[in-house]
Amino acid sequence: MKAYTQIPPGTQILIGTAARRRSALERAISSVFEGWSYEEIVPPIFDYYDAFIKGMGTGLEEQIYRFIDREGAILALRPEFTSLVAKTAATRLAGAPKPVRLFYSGEVLRFEKTRGGQQREFAQSGIENFGGSAKSSDVEVLLIAVEVFERLGIRDFQINLGSVDFFGGIVDQIGLPESDIAELKDLLNAKDRSGLEKLLERLPLEDRRKAVLRAIPHLTGGRGVIAEARGLVSNERSIAAMDHLEHILSIFEGLDLSQRLTIDLGEIRGFDYYTGILFRAYVRDMGFEVASGGRYDGLPASFGADLPAVGFSFSLDRLEQIVMPYLEIPEMAPEQISEGAGGAQAFARARDLRRAGKAVKLCP
Amino acid sequence: VIALAKGRLLEPSLDLLSRAGILFSEDVLNSRRLIFDAADGRHRAVLVKPADVATYVEYGAADAGIVGRDVLMESGADVVQPLTLGFGHCRIVIARLRGAETHAHSTVRVATKYPRITMDHFNSRGTPVEIIPLAGSIELGPLVGLSDLIVDLVESGRTLAENGLEVVEVLAQSSARFVVNRAAYQVKRAEIQGLIQALEGAGQQR
Repeated sequence: MKAYTQIPPGTQILIGTAARRRSALERAISSVFEGWSYEEIVPPIFDYYDAFIKGMGTGLEEQIYRFIDREGAILALRPEFTSLVAKTAATRLAGAPKPVRLFYSGEVLRFEKTRGGQQREFAQSGIENFGGSAKSSDVEVLLIAVEVFERLGIRDFQINLGSVDFFGGIVDQIGLPESDIAELKDLLNAKDRSGLEKLLERLPLEDRRKAVLRAIPHLTGGRGVIAEARGLVSNERSIAAMDHLEHILSIFEGLDLSQRLTIDLGEIRGFDYYTGILFRAYVRDMGFEVASGGRYDGLPASFGADLPAVGFSFSLDRLEQIVMPYLEIPEMAPEQISEGAGGAQAFARARDLRRAGKAVKLCP
Repeated sequence: VIALAKGRLLEPSLDLLSRAGILFSEDVLNSRRLIFDAADGRHRAVLVKPADVATYVEYGAADAGIVGRDVLMESGADVVQPLTLGFGHCRIVIARLRGAETHAHSTVRVATKYPRITMDHFNSRGTPVEIIPLAGSIELGPLVGLSDLIVDLVESGRTLAENGLEVVEVLAQSSARFVVNRAAYQVKRAEIQGLIQALEGAGQQR
């Protein structure tokens, strides 16, 4: 087999309309970010392996492409942007006025199972906001996500908003060993009721606490969910999370956008680094989320500056599978110029047309 | 769209769906067609190999599906599993020749059609293992000296017994599950919840 004529699994080559579509999409999304005063950041495509491990915590190490440079340093191709951007905000931009608003767009690399259209090299566009208050910056980033959908003309989208503090507060209180918590998380993520029952039978918990855990997968919907959740918990952390979600929902109601937001306390998947709100955006008839994000206050501190932080990223590869009515893909419509006998004449004409702002194509 | 597994789970799956009010007018069991519309005009079934049900649902090509837990574990598919159904009960077990000794210190050869489940299990024990992937008649492995152990799905245990094998350890209980695509679970919430309730009700009627 001549493997070198094929490209490796999980990579792709975009040409023609596909490539123009990609850059038009990147430009459209970037223009929304710029409209909210986010500055572009272009980080390196590789960095020290430790920088990513500090950022992402456990779970993703096996998916990182690692290599060793000639001096023996362990490096990694970036598997995500957030760690890199957080590191920059906590170091080079430590003295900048807050909030620091940054956006990025580019490829990340992860050794993923190549299925579901999942690439190993895939493109993300996203924002990170450092040093703003949770009250205002959480709302700001959610509104920006909404505007991206509107800008692209995607109508059937929905943002599911949860908080790691709701579940976190419950877990703090019941004091289970790590291994049980991991199993509990897996079962809740799969919304596997029978598996959950089996685990609960084994755990030495009061019935009242078991009832709370049983209710978690069903805590999805509108404002009513927050009221229901309040009835279940008494710990400060969970309650503060409910106050915060209610605040966000009120602002969305004020903007007539509340139908876009689904409160979802049953989703507890995601990177270890999230500390507050957590959200995912779905589009009807698309089997995977197209954007996800959340608050990660602990991350900048691991790079030396204690900054609150929130952000999200869109998956460009997935967006491209959706109809985006407002996305204009530039047409190629050049003036054709015959090369003729090969003298200077054809080139002179081409140059004149170029100076007049026209597209040209020299033809043999 | 609901993905159904061809094979032993198909008949009980259709039975459950019909009790939940989702009737498939044609004789799905005998036809060679792969897509069927329900009498209510709102649901559609696709018939696929059991291992593919997880794939269809994970990708969102089907919103939901009915599939054995063994298949889900083996595929590692990231799907929502809101309902365990009351049929298709069996166990995933490790078995060996009756009376055989397993040497814990050397590499164990294991024949199976569940390489992933097998690998996960032996990894967690720190036992070196060589996996011999087979597509069927796994029981033969130890009989012809191909492997020391097998990891296989067992319903009654008769096949094992008739081939002179014994169960060493039960790795997991399996039964049919109703699974849902993660995005569909969120975006088509009302339809999916309705379906879950109908299936749950139908399961209890029996």
